[in-house]
Amino acid sequence: MPGIDESLLEAMRLPGARGALVVDWISGLALGAVGDAPGGDAEATAAETAELARQAMESGTLAPADDGGTGTVGKEPPVEDLILTSADAYHLLRFVVTTFDSTVFLYLWLDRADGNLALARIRLAEMADRLVLG
Amino acid sequence: MTTAARTGGSAPELLGTLAADHATGALSTESGIFYLSAGHVVHVESAYSPDLGDLLTRSGAVAPAGWWDAVERAGAVHRVGRQLVDSGRLTTGALELCHLGALFDAAYFALAHGGAALRFRPGVAHWLGAVRPVPVATVLRESRRRRDLLHRIWPDPAVDTAPLIRAAGGGADRLPPRRGRTLALVDGGRTAAQIASVLAHRTFHTLVELRRLAADGLVTPAPPPPATPVHSVPDAGGAAWDEPDTALLRRLLDALEAL
Repeated sequence: MPGIDESLLEAMRLPGARGALVVDWISGLALGAVGDAPGGDAEATAAETAELARQAMESGTLAPADDGGTGTVGKEPPVEDLILTSADAYHLLRFVVTTFDSTVFLYLWLDRADGNLALARIRLAEMADRLVLG
Repeated sequence: MTTAARTGGSAPELLGTLAADHATGALSTESGIFYLSAGHVVHVESAYSPDLGDLLTRSGAVAPAGWWDAVERAGAVHRVGRQLVDSGRLTTGALELCHLGALFDAAYFALAHGGAALRFRPGVAHWLGAVRPVPVATVLRESRRRRDLLHRIWPDPAVDTAPLIRAAGGGADRLPPRRGRTLALVDGGRTAAQIASVLAHRTFHTLVELRRLAADGLVTPAPPPPATPVHSVPDAGGAAWDEPDTALLRRLLDALEAL
């Protein structure tokens, strides 16, 4: 059964993975870190990606529309993941859904040349689920 | 290391010394207890933040009967965390996330109320057991960062400790869900810690929402009232009992000004 470190190490096995974090998006704290971080500072990466995550989470405009039946509206998280691309990298954030009070996401730094964004997104979602559901 | 009340050093200084000594035991501050194992922080408790059991059972993540079963079976051998996982009530990841959330939350409050009344009891271990030990330096750095974060959002520490009242600001109907639920519990009597307790949320995360609400003009501290503390503190002196909120506020202010 995976803990934080096992999940991060699993993320690092994805092609092109350069670094992975578990981050609390309200405090900006890195709860776990494996590999490298952009700029060489995992704590700064955690704080800055947390701010991105918070903006996305708190955006009323981007939240799912009220569809009047599925019961998903108003439940967190309104956002599943964030993908940011740059010239040399993909940055993936996947929110972890817990029943207890927890405001965390998995962050994965992928090399753009070697990484497979679609695969990484699917795997990161599975890891986020397994981390708390087993 | 001997059991002794220590004078002269602050809690961060003493924690640094204990870490360098690879000490094992419990350090009590005025507002919390740090449990160390081989110089690492394994758990922290504070009267101002919900403990792991509160967070897990009040949110429904673990049934109260299941929680107490784990405490009964493994409390005496300091392995309650392990027991929750081994009995299938929580995954390792869920336990680690919830535990770290509670640890850093309690550490912030155990350090926030600066006071020299420190006591270290060597060899004392917490019944939860080690889940994911954290270096002392990380805990201290994070607590400082959290204080700065709150200050940047809205520099009024009274929001953290005083009963809160709603103010007539606009936009209360378009808040993010978490902030809206926090605002809904502001009733003129509850403090931040009491609101966190009702929500089964971590108190620091509730402070962040409340300071943002204060910055938006939606929440303001009530004028100093004759309030009762969230939890009674068994060893608190008479003076602290007479005027809990004022004393607390003064210590917080002193700590902030000392930065």
